Amino acid sequence: MRGGIFSVLSDFLSGLGRAQFFLLGILRAVPAALLRPRAIVKQLYMIGVLSLIIIVISGMFIGMVLSLQGYHTLVRFGAASSLGVLVALSIIRELGPVVTALLFAGRAGSALAAEIGLMRATDQLSAMEMMAVDPMRHVIAPRFIAGIIAAPLLTAIFCVMAIGVAGGHAIGVELLGVDAGSYWSQIRANVDVHDLIQSFIKAAVFGAVISWIAVYQGYHAAPTSEGVSRATTSTVVVSSLSILALDFILTAFMFR
Amino acid sequence: MTDARTMPAPAADSATLVRVRGLHFSQGRRKIYDGLDVDIARGRITAIMGPSGTGKTTLLRIIGGQWRPSAGAVEFDGVNVHRQRQKGLYALRKRMSLLFQNGALLTDLSVFENVAFPLREHTKLPEAAIRDIVLMKLEAVGLRGARKLYPEELSGGMARRVALARAIALDPEMVMYDEPFTGQDPISMGVLMRLIQSLNRSLGITSVIVSHDVEEVLSIADFAYVISNGQVLARGTPDEIRASESEYVQQFLQGRPDGPVAFHFKARPLADELMERA
Repeated sequence: MRGGIFSVLSDFLSGLGRAQFFLLGILRAVPAALLRPRAIVKQLYMIGVLSLIIIVISGMFIGMVLSLQGYHTLVRFGAASSLGVLVALSIIRELGPVVTALLFAGRAGSALAAEIGLMRATDQLSAMEMMAVDPMRHVIAPRFIAGIIAAPLLTAIFCVMAIGVAGGHAIGVELLGVDAGSYWSQIRANVDVHDLIQSFIKAAVFGAVISWIAVYQGYHAAPTSEGVSRATTSTVVVSSLSILALDFILTAFMFR
Repeated sequence: MTDARTMPAPAADSATLVRVRGLHFSQGRRKIYDGLDVDIARGRITAIMGPSGTGKTTLLRIIGGQWRPSAGAVEFDGVNVHRQRQKGLYALRKRMSLLFQNGALLTDLSVFENVAFPLREHTKLPEAAIRDIVLMKLEAVGLRGARKLYPEELSGGMARRVALARAIALDPEMVMYDEPFTGQDPISMGVLMRLIQSLNRSLGITSVIVSHDVEEVLSIADFAYVISNGQVLARGTPDEIRASESEYVQQFLQGRPDGPVAFHFKARPLADELMERA
C-alpha cells in the first residue's frame, strides 16, 4: 500500500519535472516563434476563432441563469436594482475566466493534444527533426503563444455575452423588468478597472497553463490511437483541475 | 566468402561516410543491436536487409541521431553523431535526409508546400527559385501534377514519392530510404529505382536503402548488409551476398519459412499453452 502511494507520488513528481523542463524548452523557443507571426495567427484561428461559438452560447446562457437566480434572491431584499452589479462582478471576477478556461480546455486543449499526438504518431515531428527543423519552434511555441493570447480574448467575449444584451440584460431588464438605467449604472459604479485587469490576468494564466498541458501531453503521447486518446483525456482532466486550483490561489492573492 | 564471421569490417577511410562501431541498442527488455559494425561508403548505394523486427529502421534513426545507442559510436563524415548538441546535430542533418516508411508528410501543407518546406526553412531563395526547384523535384518522382493535393488525398505510394521529392529538395549528401518500394506499383517501383540510381550516379548522393524487396534492392546496390539478431550476418557486393554459403542468408534471400531464422517470435510451444488453458 505504502509502496503504491510512493510509486504514484514518484510518477507524479517525475512527470511534473519533465513538464517543467518541457516548459523551459517552449520558453526558449518563444522568441524564434514570435518572428513567425503568420504561424501564430493561424493557431489563433484554429484555437481561438473556432472556439467562439461555444464561448458565445455558453456566455449567453450563464448570464441568463445568473440573472434569473440573482433577481429572485435580490427582490426578496428589495435590492433588485443591484442585479447588474451582481451579474457583472460574478462574471468578471470568477465565472468569466474560469468557465471560459474550462470550455477552452475542452475544445481547444483537447484538439491541440490530439493534433500534436497524431503528428508524433505519424512521424511528422520526427520528419521535422530530421529536416533540421526544431518542432519546439515550429509547432509547439506558436500554439503556446496563441493559447495565451486567445484565452483572455475569449474571456472578454464571454463576459460581454453574459452581462450584455443577450445574457443577463435580456433576462433581468427585458423579461423581469429591472430598470435598464440602474442595471448599467450599478455596473459602472461598482466594477472598476482592477476587476478587469485581474480577470485578464487570470485568463492569461489559464490560457498558458492549458496550452502548456495540451502541448506536453500531445508531444509525449504514445504513438498509438490509445496514446492519443489518453493524451486528450489527460489534457482536459489535468487542465480542469489546474484551472480550479489556480483560480483559488490567484483569487486569494488578488483579493486580499 | 561473405559470412560476417569470417569477413572483417571494411577499414575506415575517407571513402566511408558513415561508420557504425560496436552499436548496442535495446527497446525495453528487447535487445535490438549487440555490437553492430556497419560502414556506409561515400557516393555508393548500400542496402540494409534482414527479417522484420531486426531493427533496420532503428539503425536509420540512430544514424540520424534521433535515437541514442546504449553503447557504441556512429560517425558521419568523421563526426560523432551522438556527441553533438542540437546545433551540431542539426548541421549534420542538413547534410542527410531520411525517407520515412509512411512518408511523414506534414498534413496541414499541400504537396507543393511539403517539398518547399526544407527550402523555405534553410535557404533564402526567392519564391520563383523555390517554385522551380519544387516542380523539378516533383517531376522527378512523377507527381508534378499532384502539387495542389493534400496528403490525405494521396495513396500510400504517392505519399512516399512526395516524401522522396522532399528528401532530395536540399540535395543532401546522403539519403536514407526506409522501405521506399513498399506499396509501389511496378511502374513506380522501376521509376524509383532508376531515380535512386541516377541521384547516386549523377549527383554522387550516398544512398542507404532499407528494404525487404531483395531482388530489386540488390539490383541497384553497390554493397549490402544482411542483419539479424542484432548483428551483421553477411556483408558484401550483391553477387557475394547471393553466393553466400550462410544458411541464414540463403533462407532470407529465398524467403523460406524454415531455417535458422525463426519465423515465430520467441514463445513457449503452442501445445503447452493450449494444454495449460484446458
